[in-house]
Amino acid sequence: MTLDLSPSTHRSLRRAWTISLTVAMAGIGLLMIFPIVWSVLTAFKPNAEAASASPTLFPQTWTLENFTAIWSAIPFAQLYGNTIIFAGSVMVLSLAFDTMAGYALARFDFRGKTAAFIAIIVMLMIPYQAVIIPLYDLVHSLGLGQTVAGMIVPRSANAFGVFFMRQFFLALPKNLEEAARIDGANEWRIFTRVMLPLTTPALLTLGLFHFQFNWNDLLWPLVMSNTIDGATLPAGLALFAGQHVVEYGLLMAGSVLALIPLILFFLLIQRTFVTGIATTGIK
Amino acid sequence: MRFGSVHTVAGRQARAAWMFLAPGLLLLTLFTAWPLVRTAYLSFTEYSLLTPPEWVGLENYRALLGDDQVTNAFQNTVLYAAVVTPVTIALALALAMALNARFFGRGIVRTAVFVPFVVSLAVVSIAFRFLLDPNYGLVTHWLSAVGLAPTQGALAQPGTAMAAVMAVGVWKNVGFYMVMFLAGLQSIPSDLYEAAQLDGASRLQKFRAVTLPLLSNQTMLVSILAAIASFQVFDQIKVMTNGGPAMSTETLVVLVNRVGISNLEFGYGSAVSVVLLLLILAFSLVQYLYFGRRQVRY
Amino acid sequence: MRPTRRTCIAAGAALALTAGLAACSDGGSTDDGGPVTLTMWHGLTGPDGPAFQEVVDNFNDSQDEVTIEAEALPWDSLYQQFLTAATSDDGPDLVAMSASRLPQYAERGVLGSTDEFYADDTYMDTSVLAEGAVQASVYDGVNYGVPLNLGPVLMYWNKALFEEAGLDPEAPPTTWAEFEEMIPDLTVDENSDGTPEQYPLAMGDHSTVPVFPSFLWNGGGGVVSDDGTTAMLGDPASVAAAEHWVGLVQEEQITPVGMSGADSDQLFQAELAAITINGPWMTAGLTEAGLDFDVTVPMAGPEGQSILGDVVSMTIAQRLDEDQKDAAYKFFAYWESVESQATWANGSGFPAIRTDMPEDAVTNEWAAVFGAPEILENVRPYLTGVTGSGEINEDIFTPALQSALNGTGEVADLFPAAGEDIQAVIDDA
Repeated sequence: MTLDLSPSTHRSLRRAWTISLTVAMAGIGLLMIFPIVWSVLTAFKPNAEAASASPTLFPQTWTLENFTAIWSAIPFAQLYGNTIIFAGSVMVLSLAFDTMAGYALARFDFRGKTAAFIAIIVMLMIPYQAVIIPLYDLVHSLGLGQTVAGMIVPRSANAFGVFFMRQFFLALPKNLEEAARIDGANEWRIFTRVMLPLTTPALLTLGLFHFQFNWNDLLWPLVMSNTIDGATLPAGLALFAGQHVVEYGLLMAGSVLALIPLILFFLLIQRTFVTGIATTGIK
Repeated sequence: MRFGSVHTVAGRQARAAWMFLAPGLLLLTLFTAWPLVRTAYLSFTEYSLLTPPEWVGLENYRALLGDDQVTNAFQNTVLYAAVVTPVTIALALALAMALNARFFGRGIVRTAVFVPFVVSLAVVSIAFRFLLDPNYGLVTHWLSAVGLAPTQGALAQPGTAMAAVMAVGVWKNVGFYMVMFLAGLQSIPSDLYEAAQLDGASRLQKFRAVTLPLLSNQTMLVSILAAIASFQVFDQIKVMTNGGPAMSTETLVVLVNRVGISNLEFGYGSAVSVVLLLLILAFSLVQYLYFGRRQVRY
Repeated sequence: MRPTRRTCIAAGAALALTAGLAACSDGGSTDDGGPVTLTMWHGLTGPDGPAFQEVVDNFNDSQDEVTIEAEALPWDSLYQQFLTAATSDDGPDLVAMSASRLPQYAERGVLGSTDEFYADDTYMDTSVLAEGAVQASVYDGVNYGVPLNLGPVLMYWNKALFEEAGLDPEAPPTTWAEFEEMIPDLTVDENSDGTPEQYPLAMGDHSTVPVFPSFLWNGGGGVVSDDGTTAMLGDPASVAAAEHWVGLVQEEQITPVGMSGADSDQLFQAELAAITINGPWMTAGLTEAGLDFDVTVPMAGPEGQSILGDVVSMTIAQRLDEDQKDAAYKFFAYWESVESQATWANGSGFPAIRTDMPEDAVTNEWAAVFGAPEILENVRPYLTGVTGSGEINEDIFTPALQSALNGTGEVADLFPAAGEDIQAVIDDA
C-alpha cells in the first residue's frame, strides 16, 4: 500500500506530529520536575503540615516563615557568599587549566603525550570519597588546612575537564591553527584568539558541571572548614536534617534559594547554545 | 629531535604543548594522583586513622577475597552500572533529539529535564520519601483515590530498593547528558540533513547515517562519564537507603565509606578502593578501545 | 588561642612596644592560671542548638577565666572530621559525641579520661546525675565523658486513635500481652486488601533509635551483654523475643516493614499509627501538629521493663594540659548545674540530667515527663562501652533484623549467626 499524500494532508500530519510531541514533552517535563515542584511548595508549608494522612501538593496554609527564619537559623548569607566564592573560583581556575591541558593533548604532537593522556584517564576514574583522607592529610601538610585556598586549590584542575576539552578540541577542523602559525602568531595568541572563541559552548557546559558539583558538594568543603561560618550551603542545610528531627520547611526553603544560581546558569547556557554555535559556525 | 630540518619547529611545538599542559597536570598529579598512590600504599597496612598505619603486606587483599560483603557490593556495583549506564545514555539521546525539534514551550521543558541534575540529593531523597511512601506519600494518596494504591514501599524491599535507587540515578543525571547531546546535535550542520532529505532518506536512515556518526564524540564522552559515575555511585544510595535493606543496595564506594570511615578500617577500605579502581579501569579500557575505533574526525 | 612565644617576639619586634611584650608574657602561659579558651564541637541542631548555646553564653559571661567556643556541625560530618582532626593540633579541645561512638576513640587514645571530674566534689557532687547517663561513657573501667544530654526513649500513644478504636484513651498497653489484645482494635483496613491503612505501632528497622533491641531486653535477651564482652543475639531468650515480634509484624502487620526512624516518625505524626516508641525530641513537632497524645514508660515484656536511654557525652581531647582540663571541668560543672539544666530542659524539651531538680525549675511539660526521677534512675544505654558498636548495630544486627522482617530468612537461623559475627567483632577489638 502506498500513501499518496497531498500537501494539505502532509501539513496536517506535521501539525499532528508537532502537537503530540508538545504534549508528550510537556508530560515528560512535568514528571521530571514534579519532585522539585513538591519541594518548592513544601517550603511554603508550616512545619505541622509536613506529615498528614491526607497530604496535599499545595500548602493548606501558605507561609513565608521558613524563608524569613532561615537567615537567622543559620548564617545563611555568609554561607551563600562562601559557596559562591568556592564554587566560582574552582570553576574559573579549573576551566582555565582543563582547557589548556586538553588543548595540548588534542592539538600537539610531543613526546610523553600518550603517557600524560593515560595518566589523566586513570585519574578520572578515582572516586574522590576514596582518597579524601590522604588528600586532607596532604593539604594539611602543605600548610593549607582550614583555609579557603586549601578548599579551592586541590579542585583547580579536574581530570574529567581535561578529557572533556580534549575531545572537544579534537573535533575542531585540523587546519584552524595552521593559517595563524603561517602568519607568525605565537602559540598563546593562537590559543586565546583562534581556538578559545570556538569553545564557548563546551566551556559553558563544563563550567556548569564544575559549578554545580562544587556548589552541591557537602563532604570536601566541610572537611576543610571546621566552623560553620567557613563552610558552604550544603553543610549549613545539613544542620536542618538533625539526628532525630528534620526541619523540613527550613531545609526546603534553603534548598530552593540555593537552587536559583544553578538554574540561572543553565538558562544562560541554553541561550548560548543557539546563538553561540550559530555564530562560531563549527563545521 | 629525529629530523634536523623540523627540529626547531617540533621542539617549539613540544615546548608550547608542555606549557599548556603543565599547570593542569601538576595540580592533578599533586592533588589526585598522589592521594591515590597513598591510598594504594595504605591498602597494604592496617590503619585506624587515629593510630599510625602498620604494614600488613597482602593481608587486606587476602581477607577481601573471602569477604561476602565485598562480593555483594561488587555485584551490586556491576548491576547498577550495567543497568543505569545504557538506560541513561539512551534516554538522554532520545530527550536531546526531541528537545532539538521545534515545539511550543521547548525551553521550559529543557529546563525541567535539566533541573534534577542540580538539585541537592538531600532534597531529592526527602521528596521521594514524601511522594512515594506507601502510607503517607502524596502520590500514594492520589493513586489510592483511584484504587491503585501500592502496598509496599519500594525502598523497603531488597528486590525493589535497587530498582528505586537506579531510577533516581537515571532521573537525576539524564538532564546533564541530554545537554551534552544537545550541544552535539546543534553542531551538526543542517545542510547534511537537507542533503539526506534530497536523497529521500527516512527519519531512521537520517538518524543512522548523519546523527549517530556525527554525535560519536559526544556519545563517547557521555558513555565514559556515565559509566564512571555509575561505578562510583555513592551519594544517592547514602541518603536514600544507606546500603540497605539488608545490604541489597550497598555498592563498592558505600562499602569503602562504611568500612574505612565508620568502622575505622581505612587500610581495608583502601584495598576495596583499589579493586574498584581496577574494575573501572578495565571497563573503561574496553569502552575506549571500542569507541576509539569508531571515532569520527571531521 | 594563646599567642605563642614566636608570634610574641615577632609582634614585639615589629611594634617595639613594651606593653605588647608584657601582654605576651602574661598570656603566653597558662601556668599562672590565665584565661583559657577551649573549642567545642557538637551536633545539636534544631531547637537544641540555641538552648545549648544559651548556656555556653551564660557560662562565658559568668566568669573571665574560661571561654568556650562552641561549633555546631552535622553529626555525620562531626564524626568524620574528628577522625581527621583528632590527631592534629587544630582539632577541637572538647567534642560531644554519642556515648556509643565514644569507645572507638577512647580505645585509640585520642580522648582524655574524665575520672578526675567524678573523683570528688571539687567541681560538683556528681552523685545527683542520672547514673545511666554517667555510666554510658565508661570504657574499659575508665570514664571518658560527662553527659551532655539524656534522651529516655518512651512510648507515645495517640489518644484520639485509641478513642476511635473504642479503647480507653488513658490506658495504653503496659505489657506485651495487653498490646497484643489491642492489635485488632488498633488496626484499620477499610478496603480489606490485607494492607492496613492504620497500624497499631510505628517502628523503624534502620537509621532509628534502637527500639527492637529494647524488646530483646524485655524478653530477657539483648544484642550484647551490659559489660560489653558477650554477644547475646543467639541466646534462646533473644531468639524467642525476636521471633515473637517478627511474628507480630509478619502475621498481624502491626507496623509497616522497612521504615527508617524518620518514616516511623512521619507515620505516627500523620496519625496512621497508634503507638510509637521514641525520645523526647518528638514532642515539639507532635504538639505543633495538634496531635492528642501522651507519653509513658514502654510496655513491659515477660522479663522486664527497661527504658532505653540515648546519651550524648562531652569528651576531652587527650592532649589537653592540666589547666585546660580544669577549664573543661569548670564548664562541665556549670552545664550540670540546676540553673543550666533548667535552661536546657525548658529550651530543648530534653529532661534535665539531674535527679534532684527543684519541682518548679523545669517548666517545659514534656521535659518534666521525660525527666521523672523513676525514669532517669532506670535508663539503660545501648551498646556503650563496646568499641565496634557501629559495626555491630549497623552492619550485623540491622541487616539480620531486616532479613527476618522481610521474610528472607528465619530468626532462628539469622540471629545466632549474627551473634557469632558480633562476638567476632568484640573479640577482634
